[in-house]
Amino acid sequence: MMTFSKTEPYLYLVPALSILFLFLLFPFFWNVYISLHQVSITSILKEWRFSGTDNFVQVLNDPNFHTSVKVSAIFVGSSVTFQFLIGLLISSLLNQNIRGKQLLIAVVMIPWITSGLIAAFSFKFIFDNSFGIINYFFNSIGLHSIPWLSDPNTVIWSIVIANVWYGTPFTILFLTAGLLSVNPSIYESAKIDGASKLKSFFYLTLPLIKPFILLDVVLITIWSINFFEIPLIMTGGNPLFASTPASLYMYRQAFEFGLLSKGSAAGILLLMINIMVAIIYIVALKKRG
Amino acid sequence: MPVSTNRIDKIEKSIIYIVLFVFIGLTMFPLIWVFTTSLKPNDESMSFPPKLIPEKVTLENYFFVMTNSTIVKSLYNSLIVSVGSMILNVSICALAGYGLARFEFRAKSILLYVILALFTIPIIVNIIPLYSILANLNMLNSLLSLILTFQILIIPLNVVLLKNYFETIPKEVEESALIDGCSKFGVLRRIIIPLSLPGLAVAAIFSFIFSWNEFVLPIVLANSPDSTLFQVALYQFISIYRIEWGYLSAGIVVALVPVIILIIAFQRQMIKGFTLGSLRG
Repeated sequence: MMTFSKTEPYLYLVPALSILFLFLLFPFFWNVYISLHQVSITSILKEWRFSGTDNFVQVLNDPNFHTSVKVSAIFVGSSVTFQFLIGLLISSLLNQNIRGKQLLIAVVMIPWITSGLIAAFSFKFIFDNSFGIINYFFNSIGLHSIPWLSDPNTVIWSIVIANVWYGTPFTILFLTAGLLSVNPSIYESAKIDGASKLKSFFYLTLPLIKPFILLDVVLITIWSINFFEIPLIMTGGNPLFASTPASLYMYRQAFEFGLLSKGSAAGILLLMINIMVAIIYIVALKKRG
Repeated sequence: MPVSTNRIDKIEKSIIYIVLFVFIGLTMFPLIWVFTTSLKPNDESMSFPPKLIPEKVTLENYFFVMTNSTIVKSLYNSLIVSVGSMILNVSICALAGYGLARFEFRAKSILLYVILALFTIPIIVNIIPLYSILANLNMLNSLLSLILTFQILIIPLNVVLLKNYFETIPKEVEESALIDGCSKFGVLRRIIIPLSLPGLAVAAIFSFIFSWNEFVLPIVLANSPDSTLFQVALYQFISIYRIEWGYLSAGIVVALVPVIILIIAFQRQMIKGFTLGSLRG
């Protein structure tokens, strides 16, 4: 039996916890403080005037914020749907008895290890209105060019496509790990019972990997809510706020318009949305038992 | 009916391969397109109709990227920050993971829950307060600030990953070393660390890649010419050079090189480490 003093285990955790406290927890509360004061980029080193809930009122009455919440809903909803469905399809195909599996998984992973910036630039290039290859391809099969990045109604789909490309590998990897955890002998007995492959997929596999599916959907939902590198780089959130999700709205208020406290207030509203998603997740987990 | 089942199997197999290859084609296409563009002379990269294969292969874009002093400086900054953040991260996460793996103590499960919950907390709602705090401490535009703030991105994942790795090492090995008169620190240094090198390697790669790819924290916290990181320098291509796609695509390829090398070299360990880290919690 190893012996140790009461404080010893805590000593190992001190460095990690102190960094998390200083750069994660403390800024959390500082954010609330900023949102209750009047601070801009230029007045940051001067005295801050207390302004109560002014910033929240401003954000909630800002039509651009309303647009950005709508953009977020479309961006998150479609990103999560497509990432999950494509991820489920590809990971179950990779789980079949096929050759070169290891290599295929490695290739499929590639977008995930590129940066958001690389994903955004690559798609900005492909979607370019004048020399982009997608429009060239559309023209050559007799379709009209689409103004991918400048039409307020289309631009949201351009950023969704880039985000699905960038984010799907995570789901593939995560669900592959889930599928590997299923004991293959289960399928053997299902086969003997005469169940078709599709049937055993829906009635055996899916329920068995449900915990993986749930956690995956929660993670990609929260990441999509908060992720704004792709719209920032592809379009800067333009035209107007047509490709500005709520997370980018926060960033633009603070660092494009210099209104730090308005950005902070938007950030706190964003955080509440995150907490709501987390609560839904916990409730769903509890229901599972 | 062995023959017909065989045929169905074959059709099924071909469909699987077709779907996978179409998917891989779509996955690889943007990057291949960027890569071939990086080899084209500048007038060709924005010509219409676009050509996938360059007519004339040239390295002039790479030459520009690797000789432009701003970009070279930013590459150098990125290397310092990524390596520094990797060393710091693996050290503190190894300590924390070891503490959580080897000791039973009262706050253990709470601490573990807190660290797991941090997985889901959006770091970006912290950028405004971090900016304000660092501005007041006069610590904006410092590579050290970047190394420290990057830790919050990686600590949760690596602590859990290393804790799970340490738990696979039998306690008995340590206990017999302790009986032989080895100090606790000596056990960590001479036994635990050598035995967990594969796990530490995966943690190191994760923190290197996360730091190398990070964009939002550095663009907000460090955008003076002296402290720019490589990803930020690429972003600034938009305004400075009115998007010269040739230069930009060469820059993207340069940004991908270290990451691709690491993935190819450690692919197996990474998938294993990834599943260990995320699943057993």
